[in-house]
Amino acid sequence: MTRRFGLILPLLLILGWEAAAIVINNPFYLPRLETVIPVLLNPFSSDYTLGTGSLFDNAVVSIQRVTVGFGIAAAVAIPLGIGMGRSSRINDFFDTTVELLRPVPPLAWVPLALAWFKLGIASIVFIIFIGSIFPILLNTIDGVRGVKKTWIEVGTTLGAHERQVLTKVIVPGAAPTIWTGLRVGFGIAWMCVVAAEILPGPTSGLGYLIMYAYNLGQMNVIIAGMITIGLIGLAIDLLFKTIERRLFSWRGLDR
Amino acid sequence: MKPVKIMALALVAVALVLLTAGCTQSSSSPSPGSNASAGSTAGETVGILYTQGVGPMPGLLATNQIDGYISWQPVAEAGVESGVGQIATYSKDLPPAGKWSNHPQNVFIVRNDFEAANPDFVNAYSALNLASSQYITDHPQESAGIIADWLAGKQNFTYGNVSVSSVTAVSNSLPTIKFTTEPSDSWKSSMSDFVDAQIAIGSVNGFLKNSSADRNTLLYNFAPYQSAESIVAGKNVTTPATIKDPVTVGYLLAVDHSALFVAVKDWQYFNDTYGIALKPQDATKAKPDVADFIVNGQKIAEVHLVSASAGPALMQLAATNAIQMSYVGAPPAIAAIDQGTPIKIAYPIDNLGTGLVVTRGAPAQDWQSFAAWAKQRSDAGKPLVIAAPGKGSIQDVMLRYALKDSGITTTEVKT
Repeated sequence: MTRRFGLILPLLLILGWEAAAIVINNPFYLPRLETVIPVLLNPFSSDYTLGTGSLFDNAVVSIQRVTVGFGIAAAVAIPLGIGMGRSSRINDFFDTTVELLRPVPPLAWVPLALAWFKLGIASIVFIIFIGSIFPILLNTIDGVRGVKKTWIEVGTTLGAHERQVLTKVIVPGAAPTIWTGLRVGFGIAWMCVVAAEILPGPTSGLGYLIMYAYNLGQMNVIIAGMITIGLIGLAIDLLFKTIERRLFSWRGLDR
Repeated sequence: MKPVKIMALALVAVALVLLTAGCTQSSSSPSPGSNASAGSTAGETVGILYTQGVGPMPGLLATNQIDGYISWQPVAEAGVESGVGQIATYSKDLPPAGKWSNHPQNVFIVRNDFEAANPDFVNAYSALNLASSQYITDHPQESAGIIADWLAGKQNFTYGNVSVSSVTAVSNSLPTIKFTTEPSDSWKSSMSDFVDAQIAIGSVNGFLKNSSADRNTLLYNFAPYQSAESIVAGKNVTTPATIKDPVTVGYLLAVDHSALFVAVKDWQYFNDTYGIALKPQDATKAKPDVADFIVNGQKIAEVHLVSASAGPALMQLAATNAIQMSYVGAPPAIAAIDQGTPIKIAYPIDNLGTGLVVTRGAPAQDWQSFAAWAKQRSDAGKPLVIAAPGKGSIQDVMLRYALKDSGITTTEVKT
């Protein structure tokens, strides 16, 4: 029931779009769905994407890049977040820098990324890394600080060292919040795909396809690219949520 | 009705309002903030809007956000084919009369350190450029197909509900371009005019303006051209030494840079005829990005092909040695050399090929009527807004110079 209820608005928006497009009758403002749908319905064909490869191939390339950037961000953010959450000294050392860098949009890093990492995958991965690290970091800190004091005290009373407290109490206790951070972080990493693929160098990917279509003024391909990005983002988010339900259903059950 | 249903309907209504709201505003063009007062003939202006690329231009014209645009091919032709606009004039007819009749458009640049280290490679690559340019001139129809494949996978350009075959758009734009590669005296003289024009508008204010050294020494190194010429004439090339690191070459998605596209796509022909080939590693790609440079059957280097959105972006890459050679517009190359970028122009890659497109039905069929229209609109307090790809680009330089010659000043449209 909830799943189907959630589909009502998208369907209404699609109908509304087509109705508005017919009324406005200027396809530069609102392209008709007929020009966008063929691109979406032929994801494995190279005939609709201006010679950049099929929609599917571009999606796979983008997912690969995002996964690498996100993976590195998680590998850096989680240990750092645990440290910052656990120790006020570590927190004070890093906090100002983090808060300075956090508001800078990934797009602003593009020229520096190109200068530091040259043309190639490293610069793309850097943009995705810088976009997704902060949500993961902040949620990790939050999760670590939010671990119930009672549990930590039980652990120390039973004779645990700091390392055992970390591995047996803190990390599992913070895990649900860290997982939320990962989910949000991946969403942002996925959003950074377009920014990252604006860089000269890549010749494939959904962000590249959108910028390429923009350079040739092909609105229908741009919109098809946007819809594809949205659908993949939705699917991955559902995946995160499913895993969360499986692993962390114990959350909130304690008194 | 249940509250949930009311809420859903309300959301849909809001969505529809938002969708249509942005589209029913009045279509007055943005004012460039000129000080034109009604009735005076002094102080007529045209606003220039820089779009960082040419793709958005037909769309902007169709939604009445600009009155015209000046761009390279195929976008000028595509604007006409899609019914969005009409050609006011091609660049060769811009005033002052006769000044631009064979104007330089794009050139081939090489970094000084790369040329010094690999002269034979640059000579052989240049021979390929020369041969390829000649091929396009001799086989326009076949070339149009290759170029359309590279730029758009041979697909249609969709502008609104009009579909334009990319092959047709490219075919129609080829006659407007001259694929010359000879750095003749008249070419050098035109290039000097470009430098003067850029100084006049302020985009050149470094070495080229202030140094007492001869302009030609600062700008050019024709050694690759001279060697390339004899290689092509004699169909005889020395095998260069192999290069270990990949060589990166920059280009733009413009018909002007077709020498590259044809060289790569028709690599077999150039291999058989001249013993030089730029063979794509993946021939199934419409737009190969890695190719092997082969001379006399031997692989000399791996070449990476990188496209950017406009000339100035390519020159930034050249400045950081991210690319070693590039096809690029003449003014960005001149500006880069002026700023001290360690490159030299080796030879032209094409002349002409820029079009000024205006709203379909506008009273502009040639430059005189366009200038009259610009003045009339300026006097009425609604100056024209013309889009150009980027500050300092060929299109920008020529348009501003021509307007200045017709007594019209320009202002940059800030949004």
